[in-house]
Amino acid sequence: MNEMADINGAAGAVDGIRARAAARDDALLRGWRLSWLRMRAIATRHAYVLLRSPHRLFDVVLWPVVDVLLFGSLATFVASGHTSGSSQAAAYLIAGIVLWHVVYQSQIAVSTGVLEESWSRNMLNLMVSPISAFEYVAGVALFGLLKMAGALGLVTVGAAIFFSFDVPSLGWGLVPIFAILLFVGWAIALFVVGVVFRYGAGAEALAWGVLFVVMPLSGIFYPVTALPGFLQPLALSLPTTHAFIALRALVDGKGIEWNQLALAAVLTVVLLALSLWYVTTMIAVFRKRGYITRYS
Amino acid sequence: MSSAPVVLEARGLVKDYRRSRAVDGVDIVVHAGERVGLLGPNGAGKTTTLLMVLGVVSPDAGSVIIDGVPVAKDHRRAAASIGFAAGYLPLTDRMRVREYLTMYGQIYGLQDPRPQIAAGLERFRVEHLAEAMGTELSSGQRTLVGIVRATLHRPRLLVLDEPTASLDPDVARRVREGLSEICAEDGTAILVTSHDMSEVERLCERVIFLSKGRIVADGKPSDVAASYGHGALEDVFLELADERDASRRLEVEQTDRPA
Repeated sequence: MNEMADINGAAGAVDGIRARAAARDDALLRGWRLSWLRMRAIATRHAYVLLRSPHRLFDVVLWPVVDVLLFGSLATFVASGHTSGSSQAAAYLIAGIVLWHVVYQSQIAVSTGVLEESWSRNMLNLMVSPISAFEYVAGVALFGLLKMAGALGLVTVGAAIFFSFDVPSLGWGLVPIFAILLFVGWAIALFVVGVVFRYGAGAEALAWGVLFVVMPLSGIFYPVTALPGFLQPLALSLPTTHAFIALRALVDGKGIEWNQLALAAVLTVVLLALSLWYVTTMIAVFRKRGYITRYS
Repeated sequence: MSSAPVVLEARGLVKDYRRSRAVDGVDIVVHAGERVGLLGPNGAGKTTTLLMVLGVVSPDAGSVIIDGVPVAKDHRRAAASIGFAAGYLPLTDRMRVREYLTMYGQIYGLQDPRPQIAAGLERFRVEHLAEAMGTELSSGQRTLVGIVRATLHRPRLLVLDEPTASLDPDVARRVREGLSEICAEDGTAILVTSHDMSEVERLCERVIFLSKGRIVADGKPSDVAASYGHGALEDVFLELADERDASRRLEVEQTDRPA
């Protein structure tokens, strides 16, 4: 009789555990609503970091203004030469620096977002959680878009006020160029994130340094033919190069160069695929070799 | 043998690092509501075992199943059933405690985690810290907030790495009481590592001793101590640490011996 009561009691306890587990599961979101909630949580977390670290505003406020002043002044000087094509070169400079900020802001937002988790020793807590790499990166990128909107607004307004250069007047052709440069920035950021997973936070210099390699090769201010001959094939393999060729065509009033945009789009897809493969492989290496112990 | 559902089933776990085998064929089965201590001297393989259970280190052999979900196949679903806190991890910079807990509540799927945050802070008696910045907290307060974070989503398995390190006896008691409540109410299983044997004896009904990557004892704390001819777990720990040191000395001597 007692044994029977014990068995019934144990079964009741197990049923209780199962019932509480089911109630607990019902309280949790699922599917795309859960993914969106996680992305928002990450974006909000990075908003707090930005708002409470005034020095981080340099990337969003100071550098864009400095860049537009520097290259705008250079453009004014070049234009004052009264030589053939000098005003055209000046327009290339200003349009180039404004659009370059799309690559810069999208890249820096994602790569420093991941580095922030390393600096604040948050990596282990995030990696044991159910958030996916996609949800995390999308959350950081989402917040990066807001930062980029602010920075681009500043350079655009700065170019208009200081140098009377009206960027939106270049027309709808800016939209595909903007989209390509945005995805290129994210692709470069994924590569940097892969390096951080493999080599640790010591690789952080790459987050800022990598763009100083891409920038001159992309011919953002000049045609690729201005580069030394041996660098030109490399430059032409970059999607940014073709996006900026299309931009200069807009500046010259030649309309939208669909061929260049198509080539840039294909190269962007290739670059994104390579970056995704690299970061996925590096995360697998990270788990395999137990690199998480760097953060524990 | 418990009739409660199995929450953690780790079989044949092996992990090699460059110079040595950190974990060598570890099997651990934990049932709902069980409180299990994973013990052993430094280098015994505790942390590597925990990291494999958590899915952040891939085993070279063996498998981990959390609440019926294989970690290697579906880490995200398995991770949703786990809570993790470590005494050595700081809170995220530049966030208030409430913001930090909200972020993690949302990551674990709670659309509005405010009720769970309030209940968790109250359970561990740290409601007054809700608006404090993470950097303003003492190490004990950080640990308590870390445990609140780990239990917001009412996990099936709570993994704690050195939760009572550097805690004063009062805070350590609060941790013990809070964890025991969670186990009793939700049937949450606990897997905890600690170097404080007296804490483990108070919190855990079962201990697993690791030495040189292998399980050398598994049972009730008093039974394990008795099986080594000791009255307390601390003496078992010291015996295993002595064995490890003797083994290392022997390795060094053999390496230094001329051919």
